[in-house]
Amino acid sequence: MFLEVQHIVKSFGEEKVVKDLNFSLESKQTLSILGKSGCGKTTMLKTIGGLVASDSGKILLNGEDITETKPEKRNIVYLYQEDLLFPHLNAFENIAFGLRLKKIPEGLIKEEVNHMLQSLELEGQADKMPTELSGGQRQRVSFGRAISTNPSLLLLDEPFGSLDTGTRQRMQELFKKLTAEYKITSLFVTHDLKEAVLMGDQIGFMHDGILKVYEDKKDFIQDPETGVQNEIDFWGGLI
Amino acid sequence: MRINWKSFVLSLAVLLILFPFIYLVFLSLASEWRFPEVWPSYLGFKNWVTVFGSETGLLESFFSSLLISLSVAVFSTASGFLISKAVFYHPKKRILTLLAYFPYILAPVVFAACLSFFFLKMGLFGNMTGVVVAQFIIAFPYALLFFSSFWNAKVKSYEDLVATLGGNKWQTYTKVLLPLAKGLILICFFQTFLISWFEYGLTSIIGIGKVQTLTIKVFLFIKEANYYYGALSCCLLIFPPVVLLYFNKRYVFKKLV
Amino acid sequence: MKIKKSNVSILLFVLIGVVPFAAAFIYALLYSFGVIGVANNGFTLQFWESVLASGIFFKSFLYSFIIALTAVTISVGGALWITLKFKKQLEKRFLSFIIYLPLAIPGVVTGFFTLQLFSKGGFFARISHKFGLITKASEFPDLVNDGLAFGILLSFVTMVMPFFVLLFLNVYKNERVEELSVLAQSLGANPNQIALRVFLPILIKKTWVLIVLYFIFLLGAYEVPLILGQESPQMLSVLIIQEIKQYDLDKISEGYVVAVLYTLIVSAAAIVLFLPKRKSAYAN
Repeated sequence: MFLEVQHIVKSFGEEKVVKDLNFSLESKQTLSILGKSGCGKTTMLKTIGGLVASDSGKILLNGEDITETKPEKRNIVYLYQEDLLFPHLNAFENIAFGLRLKKIPEGLIKEEVNHMLQSLELEGQADKMPTELSGGQRQRVSFGRAISTNPSLLLLDEPFGSLDTGTRQRMQELFKKLTAEYKITSLFVTHDLKEAVLMGDQIGFMHDGILKVYEDKKDFIQDPETGVQNEIDFWGGLI
Repeated sequence: MRINWKSFVLSLAVLLILFPFIYLVFLSLASEWRFPEVWPSYLGFKNWVTVFGSETGLLESFFSSLLISLSVAVFSTASGFLISKAVFYHPKKRILTLLAYFPYILAPVVFAACLSFFFLKMGLFGNMTGVVVAQFIIAFPYALLFFSSFWNAKVKSYEDLVATLGGNKWQTYTKVLLPLAKGLILICFFQTFLISWFEYGLTSIIGIGKVQTLTIKVFLFIKEANYYYGALSCCLLIFPPVVLLYFNKRYVFKKLV
Repeated sequence: MKIKKSNVSILLFVLIGVVPFAAAFIYALLYSFGVIGVANNGFTLQFWESVLASGIFFKSFLYSFIIALTAVTISVGGALWITLKFKKQLEKRFLSFIIYLPLAIPGVVTGFFTLQLFSKGGFFARISHKFGLITKASEFPDLVNDGLAFGILLSFVTMVMPFFVLLFLNVYKNERVEELSVLAQSLGANPNQIALRVFLPILIKKTWVLIVLYFIFLLGAYEVPLILGQESPQMLSVLIIQEIKQYDLDKISEGYVVAVLYTLIVSAAAIVLFLPKRKSAYAN
């Protein structure tokens, strides 16, 4: 397995936020995780990304134990719900940010970022500052910035949470395309049922600090806890 | 009618604001202006020429003031920025903030009077290093508290983001934190410079008259009843801040907002 | 590593921000009880007793308190009035720079300037003479170093009021008081009601910490009362320094008693102001 998370526990003071987290993920797959706000999903992602230290447990990435590794050495990128573009840099420089940190030659940076802008359907926006971009465009730049560093694992924390329905749909499609093109392994956290089913190769459900990963989508749909049955009943009841 | 009333008050206000500047320049050009004459018997550049001839040491004072204030501003802004990060990310930041307010709120001259013993023991009495250290001690809490609002959840998120993108601590500072804080750092530098530039009481106690900054000079001239040189020193004291204000005014209140 | 580095920062904070204050306070405290000091020989309550008995501290404190309170009240009141009446005009380019100019004038200069204008040989005395209002300098009224602290008050107000005008103008803009006033108007409020129920509460609520802070700064002001104050009573800082710099060694200890009392009062104010949880204060 590419990513293996074993017995991760994290408490803040008295409160156990993540309880015995266990799951694994194949390379180039997306695990979508459904959960309401406050179920511990952000803490879980930050633990895997190294931004929050776990109390106990182990994280293996590509067979290597990274539990104690500093975030900047993990090659795991964590994406916030907010796009968090650097206000002092334009779209191009925001995407190039990670590449510049790695001191990649200028010519290569130009090539890669321009290619990325194209994949993100952001041609012609390179010189715009974050305030001049729309919400969807900003989120795409933020994606580009994360993907361009070629991370081993991408952690997405409600990435489309602040977008309107139409933009959200387009972004979901674009994300599918990008994950295929750049061969990305990712954890995709959302509180939107449909999005969870749509985005994941595998689906998990997180509740009260416990994550349950389903064998396949059928199991997920049949589990009354996930709320899928409720939804089906609702729409069925209307007919 | 109403418009006239308002423009009258405003014109008066402008005159009142400009009056001290004009009057001080005028007084600095005057000499032998005895009561009850309304116009001085001498008006010219005599006093200013004397200054540049350095007979009174005013030019020296100007430059030592400049040196002291620049040092204080550089040290307090840099240390305030770097140290405030740890303080305002600390779980006990409220207590730490309160501790910083104690020296901030105390009159510098009283602070200096109670500290002078230690300065004497450390050989920092009556020399420029001592004055810089003492002014740094009062400017530091200001700078530290100044940056409190900068270290918020959003900036923390930026830091985390840079870390997951593979940036090290140095890169986090140079590529993100410093550019984000640039405006604030500039204002803080300006304000701490002014704290030092305007400081009198503390400087007079720690410098014991041997370190003659411009404010000390103004007092000396008042004591000597040499009001023309006093006004001249006031001019030297006021004009650098006016120039700085002109370039900085749009930033001065940004932090308070 | 990360924890270690932030610990170094906290250590530096304590070293620069806390230790000097603590050292100064303990030194003053020990001196005031006669434990240290040139002519002192061991713990005594003598200096505290004499300061409290003579009432010198209370007189000076009350004097400083009234002056600071008056100055802050006039300044804040005036600044509110100016903001309310002139906010539109003050946004214009020329004026918007002019109103920043007073910030470039330090206390020393304000004191000196006030002295030049209002002393018996000063600007206004000359003009009064010219117009025949007075015939000798001594006939000019006491406006500096005077019993009513006219000179000190005038200096304080000219120093503090411009700051508050600028502050209020900024809060006015940032708290969108303009929009809220229009909203209130559409709900049927008249100009007076808007001023009293929208304008004033928002501005005061957002700035009261700074107002109190400025009161405390004026309470401990030094340069202005040093130039413009009278023999007795004196404002606190002037009194403390005068006592500490005396040749009479008992007076030095008494000066430290006053310093300790002043520090305690100011620190208590800091605790009341800054310890309670508050979401956002304009004083940082």
